[in-house]
Amino acid sequence: MNTKPWKHPLGQAAIVVVLAYLLFEWGIWLLPPLFGVASAPVPATVVLQYMGTVVVGVLIWVSDSEERWKQFKAPIHRVMVDPRQKVLRTALMVTIPLLVAFMTFDRVRPTVSAPAALRSVHPAPPGQIDFRGETMVLNGLENPLRHEGDLEAHYEEGKRIYVQNCMPCHGDALDGQGHFASAFNPAPLSFQDPGTIVQLTESFVFWRIAKGGPGLPREATPWDSAMPAWEDLLTAEEIWQVTIYLYEQTGWEPRTWEEEGAEGEEH
Amino acid sequence: MLKTNLSILAVVIGCLGVFTWVANAIPQIQSDVPEDLVLSDDVSPEELIAAGEELYNGGGGCTACHGLGERAPNLLTDHAGTGLIGERCANRVAGEDCKQYLHTSMVDPNAYLVEGFAPIMLDASRTLSSVQIWALVAYLQSLGGEVTVTGADFADDGGAAAAGGVVASAPAAPVLGPTGPLDPEELLTRHTCATCHAVTGQSPLGPSYEGMGSRLTADEIRTSILDPTASAAEGFEEMLGIMPPIFGNIPAAELEAIVQFIASQR
Amino acid sequence: MRPGVEITSERNVPKPGMTWRSGAGPILLLGALALLVMAEPAFAQVPAGRDYGDFPVIGGRAAVWIAAQVHLLFAAFVLGVPMFAVVTEAIGMFGGDERYDKLSKEFTRLLLVAYSATAIWGGILLFLLVTIYPTLFSYLAQIFNLSMWIYVGLFFFESFTLYLYYYGWDRWKKGRAKWFHWGLGIALNVWGTIVMFIANGWLTYMMSPPADVTVDTAPQMVQLWSALTNATWMPINIHRLIANVVFGGAVVGAYAAYRFLAAKSDEERAHYDWMGYVGNMIAIGALIVLPFAGYWLGREIYEFNQQMGITMMGGFMSWLWIIQAFLIGVLFLAGNYYLWVGMGRIPGAERFMPYTKYMLAVLIVGVIVWATPNTMIASREEFAAMGGTHHPFLSVLGLMSGKNTAVNFMILTTFLSFLLYRRANKEPVVPWARTGTIVQGAIFVVASAIVLFYGIYGYMVPTIVRIGFSVYQVLTVLACIIGVITIDLLMLRGATSRGEIQWGRMPERSQYALFILAVTFTWLMGLMGFARSGIRQHWHVFEVIRDTSPWAATPALGYSSVVISACVLIFFGLVAFIFWLGSLAEKPVISSVGQASAAGGIQSELQPAPSEG
Repeated sequence: MNTKPWKHPLGQAAIVVVLAYLLFEWGIWLLPPLFGVASAPVPATVVLQYMGTVVVGVLIWVSDSEERWKQFKAPIHRVMVDPRQKVLRTALMVTIPLLVAFMTFDRVRPTVSAPAALRSVHPAPPGQIDFRGETMVLNGLENPLRHEGDLEAHYEEGKRIYVQNCMPCHGDALDGQGHFASAFNPAPLSFQDPGTIVQLTESFVFWRIAKGGPGLPREATPWDSAMPAWEDLLTAEEIWQVTIYLYEQTGWEPRTWEEEGAEGEEH
Repeated sequence: MLKTNLSILAVVIGCLGVFTWVANAIPQIQSDVPEDLVLSDDVSPEELIAAGEELYNGGGGCTACHGLGERAPNLLTDHAGTGLIGERCANRVAGEDCKQYLHTSMVDPNAYLVEGFAPIMLDASRTLSSVQIWALVAYLQSLGGEVTVTGADFADDGGAAAAGGVVASAPAAPVLGPTGPLDPEELLTRHTCATCHAVTGQSPLGPSYEGMGSRLTADEIRTSILDPTASAAEGFEEMLGIMPPIFGNIPAAELEAIVQFIASQR
Repeated sequence: MRPGVEITSERNVPKPGMTWRSGAGPILLLGALALLVMAEPAFAQVPAGRDYGDFPVIGGRAAVWIAAQVHLLFAAFVLGVPMFAVVTEAIGMFGGDERYDKLSKEFTRLLLVAYSATAIWGGILLFLLVTIYPTLFSYLAQIFNLSMWIYVGLFFFESFTLYLYYYGWDRWKKGRAKWFHWGLGIALNVWGTIVMFIANGWLTYMMSPPADVTVDTAPQMVQLWSALTNATWMPINIHRLIANVVFGGAVVGAYAAYRFLAAKSDEERAHYDWMGYVGNMIAIGALIVLPFAGYWLGREIYEFNQQMGITMMGGFMSWLWIIQAFLIGVLFLAGNYYLWVGMGRIPGAERFMPYTKYMLAVLIVGVIVWATPNTMIASREEFAAMGGTHHPFLSVLGLMSGKNTAVNFMILTTFLSFLLYRRANKEPVVPWARTGTIVQGAIFVVASAIVLFYGIYGYMVPTIVRIGFSVYQVLTVLACIIGVITIDLLMLRGATSRGEIQWGRMPERSQYALFILAVTFTWLMGLMGFARSGIRQHWHVFEVIRDTSPWAATPALGYSSVVISACVLIFFGLVAFIFWLGSLAEKPVISSVGQASAAGGIQSELQPAPSEG
C-alpha cells in the first residue's frame, strides 16, 4: 500500500463517487446560476438515479481489466481478513449496518408534508356560487361598486379592510411578503406579480376571497392553501371594496368580460 | 458447481428484483375503464357536471391531449386569451350556440378545428355513449359558463334521433358505420317500407324514394316516417292516413340509416 | 385470400331450405344477410352477458398473460435461433471451417428441446383462452378459422423439418447432401416465419382492426385477408423478426455462459467462451437495427389512431419509456463491459485499454441524460424549490432532443468498442493503413459533430421540425457505421496478427454480464409486450369489442412488472431445466472436439479465422 490514495483504483473510485455526488447535489443547483442560467435543487429521486448509474459505471471501470480489479479488491480483502486491521474491520461492521438502518429509518419516518401532486394555480371558477345563501352568477359579473358610490371612498374602505385582514400574509406592499408568508406552502400570492390578478376578472378575485382555500376545486388540490374563506367574515360589499383596493394600489387593470368576448371572435 | 449455480441464480433474481423495484418506484397509473353512464331524463346539471368531470379526468381519456400540454387547446384554463371554455364556446362559430358547438366538436372534431392545431382528434362517439358525450358537454360548459344541457338532449338514449337538430347536423352520428351491417336497402325490406315505396321508378303505392332527398331534408323525412299524417307529398294528398304511424319502433340507429339513405336519393 | 371469405360465409349459412347450392352468388349473399339479420340483435346483446372464466388466485387475465408471454418467449427463441443457425452452417460450408458447423448443430440441439416447450405453452395458452375468454375466442375463431387451420398445418411441417434437420445432421454432412441439409434449414426458417406472420395477424387485428370493422360488424362479415393484413401487421412482423434474432443470440449467450462456468476442461471453456462471444455479437448487432423497426411500428400506430399513439407515448404509459431507457442503458453497459473484459484475452488489446474509461464516461453520461425524467418525482418541498414539476435546468435533458443525442452517442460508443475489439490483435499491412485510420477517426468526429449539432439545434426549433431531426441523427450514425466498417474490412485484409485470441481465458464475471444481458432482453420483451397489448386499454379488439371482464382496466406498471418478472423466471427456470436434461442425456458436443485435439491440437482449431469479427 505504497501508492497514494488517488493513484489506487479504490481511492479513485471513491473520489469519483464523492465528486459525482457533490455535482448532482450541489453542482447542478449552484453552478448554472453563476452563468445566468436558472436552476434549482435536484429532487432526491433523481439524485438517487444518477448516483446509481455512476456507481455502476465505477464498478464497470474497476473490473474491466483483471489487474485493476485485483488492485481494487486487495485493500477490501485485507481489511476483511488481516488480523492487524481488526479495529477498522469492527468499526466498519458496526457503522455500515447503522448507516443502512438510519437511511431506512429516514425513509419511512412519518413527515407532515402533503403527498405530491400537480397543482393548478388558477383553477377554472364555477359558473355560479352560493354567497351567504344567495346565488351569484359569476359569469359576466362585474364589480357593482365601480358604478355606484364614490370610488375614492371604496378605495379607502378597501385599504382599511386589507390592512386589517390581508396584510399579515400578503404584505403591506401587496407582494406576498407578509409577516406570516414564509410559514405557508403554497406561499401567499404576490398581487404585484404580472401573473396573478392582472390575468383575472374581478369576479374571479371575489370568488377566491369569498371561498378561500377550502373552496378550491379539484384541479387546485391538495387543499392546503391557508387562505381563509372570507364569506363568513366580510360582506359582499367589503369584498368588492378590497378588490378595488387591490387593483388601484397595484395599478393593474382588471380583466373585463367584453374584451374576452371580442378576442374570442378572432378565433 | 453449487456455488456457481447459486451465484447465477442470485444474478438473475437480483436483476429481476432491481427491474421490478424500479417499475414500482415510479408513479403508478392505471388506465381505468370508462364506466357506463345511466342518467334519467330529469337529471340535474350538478349530476351531469360531476359525471362529465369524472369522465374528463378519468376514463374519457381527454387529459391525454387537453391537459396542460400543447397537443390540443387547453380546456381547463384560458386558451390564448379567449377565456375559459365555458365562455369562449359560444363565440367560436357563428350560429352555433355553446352547447351545439361543444357537441359537434366532439362527434365531428374536425368541423371547427381550432387554429394552430392538427386534426388529430377522433370522433368521441366511437368510444363514448351519447349520455357520456352530453355529460362532457355539460362539464365543459360549467367551466366558466352556464350549463344548458338537460335530460332532453339524450332522452331517447342512443341519442341520435331524440337530440333532433343537434345530432342530425353532425355528419358522424354514432353507430353508422359506412359499410357496417346496416345496409339501408335491406332495412327498407325488413321494415316493410319497400312494400309501398320503390327506391327507383314507379312505386307500388306511396311516393318513390327517387329524388326525395332533393325535395325534403333529413329532418322532414324523419318526421314523415315517425308521424306520417303530418304532411303529404304532392300528388299523394288523398293517400294521407294510409301509411300507418307504427315506425317509431324502428331502432334509432336503423331509422337513422334509413333517413340518411332516403335523403341521399337526389 | 378470397377463398377465406367464401368458406366463412358458407360455413355459417343455415343448411335447410336454402338454395345456395344452386351456386347463384346473390342468393348466397342474401342468405348471409338473412343470417346477419337474425344474428345481429343477438350479437348486440352479447356485451351485456359476455361471460368470462376465472382462474384461481392470480385471476384470469394474469393466467392468460403469463401463458401468452412464456409461449412467446419460447417461440421467439425457436424462431430466432434457426435464422443464425443456418447462417453459421453456411459459414462452415463455404469457409470450410468445421467449428462453425459444430456450433450450428449445437444451436439446433437447443432448438429441439425448446421446441416442445413452445408447443406445450401454446397449448396452455389456447386452453386458457378458450376457458377464460370464450366469447372473444369464438369471435376470433369465426374470423380466423382458415388461418388457424393453416397455422396448425405449418406447425406440423415445421416440427418435422426440424427433426430432419437435427437428426440428419451427421448423415447429410458431405457434398450435395450437405446442400440438401442446408435447404432443410432454410425451409425451417420459411415455415417458422409464415407461422409467426399468421399469429401476428391475429394479435395485430386486435390492436388495429381494419377501419370498416365496427362494433356492429358481425365476425362472419370480416374478410380474412383484410383482417390479417391490418395496419400494424407488417411493422410487427419485421420488428419481431429482428427481435427474435436479438433474443435468440442473448439466450444462446447465456447458455454458453452457463456451460463456460460449469466447464471442467480448458477445451470446453474455450469453446463456450467463443460461443458466448458469437451469441453476444449476434444479439448486439441485431439490436442496433431494432430501433428502426420500432420507429416504423410507432408511426403506423400513430397513423392508425392518434389517440392510441398518444396513450402509448404520452398518456398513462409515458413512464414505461423511462423504464425502457433504464433497461437499454443496462444493455449498453453490459454489452460494452463484456467486450472490454474480453480484451484481456487478446494480445495487443492493451493498446486500447486506456481509452475504455473515456468511452465508459460517454456511456454513463448518455445513460444519465437518457433516463432523466421530464416530469420528476419529488416531495412538496422539492417542488416548491423547483417552482413546478419540471426542473429549470435538468428538464432540458428530459426533452426528445437531448435523449436522441444521448442514445446516438451510446450507439457510436458501442460501435467504437466493437471496432477496437476487432482491431485488438491485428496489425494492418496495407500501405494506406495510417491514412485509413485517420479517415475512420474523421468519420467518427464528423458523425458526432452532426449528432451534437442537431441535438442542440433541436432546442431552437418547433416540435414538428425537431421530430425530423432524430431521423437525420440516426441516418448519420448509420452512415458512420457503414463507412467505417467498409474501410476496416478493406484495411485489415491480410493483416498480421499480434497473437491469437486466447479463448477461454476470460474472467468469470464477464459471463455474468451475459446473464444480465439475457435477463434484461427477456424482461424488455415482456415490457414491450405489455405496452403493445396495453395500448388497447379496455378493448379486446380496439374499438370493436369491449372488455367487460373484471380485469378490463389496464394495470399500472408496478403490477405489470411483477407479472413480467414471473414470466421471465418461469422461462429461465424451464430453460435451465431443459438444458440440464439435455446434458444428462447426451455427452457434451465438446467431447468430440476434445478427441480431435489429441490429433490436431485444440488451440489452433478453436481459434477463429483472422477475418472473423
